[in-house]
Parts: sequence; C-alpha cells; structure tokens
Amino acid sequence: MRSVGVVIILGVAIALSISMLIARDAVSNKIDSVRASTGTSITVSPKGFFGFQGGGTPLTNKEIEGIVSLPHVRAVQASLSERLSSSQTNLTSPTPPGFLGQQFDGGNSNTSNSSSGSSTRSGLTPITGGSTPSNTRGFSFATEIRVIGTNSPGTALVGGANGGGTETLTSGKAFNATSTGNVAVVGASLASTNKLKVGSTFTAWGKTITVVGVYNSGSTFANSEILMPLSTVQTLASATNEVTGATVQADNISNVTLVTTEITKDLDSAADVTSTASTVASELAPLNSVQTISTYTLFGAVIGAALILLLSMLMIVRERRREIGVLKALGAPNRSIIAQFIAESTTFTVLGSLVGFLAGIAISSPITSALVNASGGSTSASQGFGGFVHQNGGGFTGGGSGFAPPSGGFAGGQGFHFGGFRNTLTQLHTSAGWSTLAYAFLFAVVIAVVGSTFATATITRIRPAEVLRSE
Amino acid sequence: MLKVDHLQKSFRTAAGDVHAVVEASFMADSGQLVAIIGASGSGKSTLLSLLGLLDTPDAGSIEINGTELAQLDARGRTKYRAQRVGFIFQAFNLIPNLTALENVKLALEFSNWDKKDRGARALDMLTMVGLDEEKARRRPNRLSGGEQQRVAIARAFAAQPELILADEPTGSLDRQTGQKIVELLRSTASRENTTVLIVTHDEKVAAQADRRFEIEDGVLREID
Repeated sequence: MRSVGVVIILGVAIALSISMLIARDAVSNKIDSVRASTGTSITVSPKGFFGFQGGGTPLTNKEIEGIVSLPHVRAVQASLSERLSSSQTNLTSPTPPGFLGQQFDGGNSNTSNSSSGSSTRSGLTPITGGSTPSNTRGFSFATEIRVIGTNSPGTALVGGANGGGTETLTSGKAFNATSTGNVAVVGASLASTNKLKVGSTFTAWGKTITVVGVYNSGSTFANSEILMPLSTVQTLASATNEVTGATVQADNISNVTLVTTEITKDLDSAADVTSTASTVASELAPLNSVQTISTYTLFGAVIGAALILLLSMLMIVRERRREIGVLKALGAPNRSIIAQFIAESTTFTVLGSLVGFLAGIAISSPITSALVNASGGSTSASQGFGGFVHQNGGGFTGGGSGFAPPSGGFAGGQGFHFGGFRNTLTQLHTSAGWSTLAYAFLFAVVIAVVGSTFATATITRIRPAEVLRSE
Repeated sequence: MLKVDHLQKSFRTAAGDVHAVVEASFMADSGQLVAIIGASGSGKSTLLSLLGLLDTPDAGSIEINGTELAQLDARGRTKYRAQRVGFIFQAFNLIPNLTALENVKLALEFSNWDKKDRGARALDMLTMVGLDEEKARRRPNRLSGGEQQRVAIARAFAAQPELILADEPTGSLDRQTGQKIVELLRSTASRENTTVLIVTHDEKVAAQADRRFEIEDGVLREID
C-alpha cells in the first residue's frame, strides 16, 4: 500500500514536471516563431507623424545617411510620401470619395495641400483644385493619389509597401534604387482606371512620367498608388532632402534593440523610432513569464519528486535496517544490498514516470492554457499593443515591414497584422516529442539517482553487530 | 577446529571503558556443540559478534582450521561470513518477503554455491530439519516459531560452514520446542561436522552441550 502511495505521489510530481516541460516547450516555440516572424525591421518616422494625416517635420537625407553609417545596420529603405491632387496630375483616382467626400460636401472646410507637397495632407481635394473650398453644398471632390518615392523599389514590391498585402509586379519591371528618372510603377487599379500599361505616360507636377511597371497587391486601396524613385519625388514635389519614413534593417535580430537605441540617440527629438522586436517583446512578456514560471515549476517538481523518493527510500531503509543487518551477517556484500534497494527505487521511479508521463501529457494542454491566460490577464499586454499601433502610424496605419510606409496613410501592415497576432498569442500547440521523452527519461534518472544516493549511503553505514545486538 | 586466543574487546562509553571480552581463549573441535552461558551484559553476545567477524577485536586471534581471521579486511570478513560461518538468531531473522526455501537459497547465493544446485540443496536442508516441501514454499509469517527457527538452522548449515554461531536459539520458543531445536543443532553439528557455538542463559540448554563455558564481566572460563 505504501509502495502504491509512493508511486502515486511520484507520478503526480512527474506529471507536473512533464506538463511544465511541455508548456515551456510550447511557449518557447511560440516565442521563437513570433520573434522569427518579426524580423529585424526598425521603423523611423518624423516626430509627431500621425499616420494618414502625416504631420511632423520630415527627416532629411543626411539623417538617413547617419543611420546607414551606424554599426549593425544592414540596409535602410527611405521613402517620401506625397499626394497628387487633380490639379497636379491628369490621373483619376480609382478610390471614390465615399463618406469623407460626404463630410466635406457637408460643409467642413478642409485645407487641401499645396503643390509643394506640404506635410498637411487631408486625402481629399476639390476637383477644381488650388483654391480654398467654399462651404457651399454640392461641391465636387476627387480623392488624391498617393505617390511613394522609394530608394528600394524591389523590397517595396515584395515586402508589402501598402501593408495590406504583398505587391506583385504583374508587368514591366521596377526602377533602379538610385534612379532619378521620371518613371513609375503604378497600382493595378490606378492603371485600370486610367488605362495605363508599361510604356504609357501620365503627368505629375507638370512632368511626364513613364510607366515602367504595374503591381497588384490584392487591395483596391493599395492598388491606387504610384511608386517612383525617391530622388525624383523629392525633386518634383519640391521636397528636396525630405524623407517621411525609413525602415532600417539590423544585421541580426539580437542587434535590433541596440540599433534602435543608437538611432534614437542620433535623431534625438527628430523622429519616432520603433522596432517590431521591441513591440513584440512587450507583447511576449506574458509568455516569457509563463516560460519562467514553467521552468521554475519544472525544476521544483523534479526536485520535489527526487526528495519524495529520497525520503521514501530513507524510510524504507530505516524500517528494514534489521533485514539489512541480517543480510550483511549472512555475508551479503554491500553492493548486493544496494543493488536491491536501487532496483526498488528504480521500480518506483519507472512506475511513477509512466503514470506521470501519461498524466502529464493529458494535463499539459489545459495547464498551458491556464498559465497563459492567467499570465495574460494579469498584464497590460493588450494596452501596450494599442500603444504600438498608435506610435506606428496612428489609427489604422502601421510601420510596414520590408518597406517603410512613407506617410503611413495606407500602410496598415503592422496594425492589422498584430491585431491577428494578439489573438494567436494564446493559441499554443502543446506536444510531447522525442525531446520531451528524453528529458522525462533524464528527470527519471536524476530522481532515481538522487533518491537512491542517500539511501545507499545509509546502507553502507549499517553495522550488523549493532543491529543484531539491539534485538 | 576453532581456536580463540587472548581475544579482547572494549567499548568506550561516557562512564569509561567497558571491557566486554577480556583475554578470551578456548578451542573447540569440529562437530562439537559448545555452550557459552552468562547473564545479560556479561559479554557473550560481543564474543559471538567477534567470532562471527561482525565486529573487530582489539587484540587476540581467531583461527578456524588454521586460517587466521581476526585481521581480515572488510571484504575478507564478508567472504568469511558467507562461506565459513552460519548465524542463528533468537528472533530467527528470516527475510519476511521470501519463502522458507528462498531464505535458505539466499545463504547459498552469498556463498557462491553452484546456481543449479541451490534449489536442491536448500530443499534437502529444509527436509533435514523436518520441514516438508509445502512448508518450504511458505513465507515466515505462515510458519510457527519453531518452524521458523528450523528454517534458520537450515539456512545456517546450508553452505556447509565450519562454524555455527547461535545466539539464544531457544529464547523465543517454548521449552519443548526449544529442546527439539537444541537436539536438532546437536545432531546437525555432528552430521555436518561443524562446530556449533550456542550462547544462552538457559542452564538446561547449556547442559546438553559437549563443552560449557561461563562468561562473567567479559572473562571466559570453562565449566564442567
């Protein structure tokens, strides 16, 4: 009966160890996968920059060059976002004014941007252009067309320039990163509305621009934009040396924090610098705490199991002291008696491990969920996440990995992505693989060895003469 | 032949040194039944422990058939106990979770008796002490006190030791059973040509021995 009790107690301790091991593995895998997916991007935006509305003082080429020269910086994708009003281009936006148009139509006096590409951008402009709109009802509007000047068109095309999806070049080619030509890659919707194809031309800021490629991102909104060389946009929009955003790639994920700190230090109050890694780190804080808890609990359970076995074996040796003395008197060598007790403790451990392993697998999933939920509930992860979205573009915009969303107006990449990410943080997959089995075996060995050591030491110290004299 | 010469053993206690065995010397032939009689605390159990190499003497020698044993190391003492001496205890001290047969086989195992002959030898010994095969398969708790002591005698003689040390072998038995056990010890000692040393405080048990010694305050002397 006592043996059954020892096996059950050991089984419970080992079950706790196994479930903690599985929980720890599940959380570690989740953390690794999230970290791997966040990449090495750091977003740099002008201070006060507020997503769709823009704002803040643009960065300069010199500041971007300063970032390029920092250690551990692999690449910097700089961009300038401008808007073309109907007076500045012969293109028609495929995006209808919708609700915003109605608002404007209802009497709100919005200030259109000037042709110089002011950083105050409403996204709407009177179709007559140029002048301040009156408050008269029935006034007609057209949506402005967003132009993104980039020094990294290839990355922009494959990295999701608009955040809502990944652009695919459907025809033509991308322009060179250092190009200064009047060339553009246009979104499919814009091309369709304006019957543009590779080789077509359109006017912008009074210049003729040649279409060298057409991309498709799967979103009408994102397909309504124009990608052009950075220096071309800077020149045409009279925004020389201005940059409205940059995405910095660190050379290694472990250097992201260091590079972020260096950029922040260099640009001081000129820019908001955020990295997905740092944001993810705060998001992952609950999982990290679960990982820590499970690690400590794991070792605690293993130590507890070893102690249980140790005390049980000491108790058994003490109870069978006379038997040990008799065996020694009969000529049994210490190793023979010790082997017998090790066999007993090993039997306890094996049975306890079997019970514990099966029970541990069975309870690992609910325990992991409970730990993650409890940990998440006690943190402000959700609030921290909201702050992140705000910092990276305001409202529904985000930093966009792979391509710096110039004004943040359309790029909702991270905002949308992390909305899903937040929901999947607690969705952990628990499984017991070979490594779990190996660790379970290792724990069992540790438990058996520790549990037997003191008992065997006690056995060697038993003197048969003393035991038999006490009859 | 057992030859003990000037054997001494003292214990250091808070009250001072206790001389448990003082200059003990005697000889006993093979096949003899020797009784050592003495009151509690007289030193008879200590003498038995010294002869069984469960304890080490401070001085003196123990010789069995010409082999000096007192200076053996731990491994040598273990080997001696397994092969050349058998123990019989007042409380029988059988291993409770083993059957009578397994208890006897255990002694054969420790003495490196040929594995294939252990079963037959153990059964022979149990038959010799008057236990049939059915009782041989019982565990100690299903045997009477006398039967348990018979198993202990079979175990002690199984490996054909040269010396049997019996500590109050009748102490836990009624007079009639105790008498039978002493007779059994005497006959077995003669048959197996083994020296049997009985420590007892019972004069009637001692009276059946071939030679009798009395121990008082550690001093051993032969009596008629």
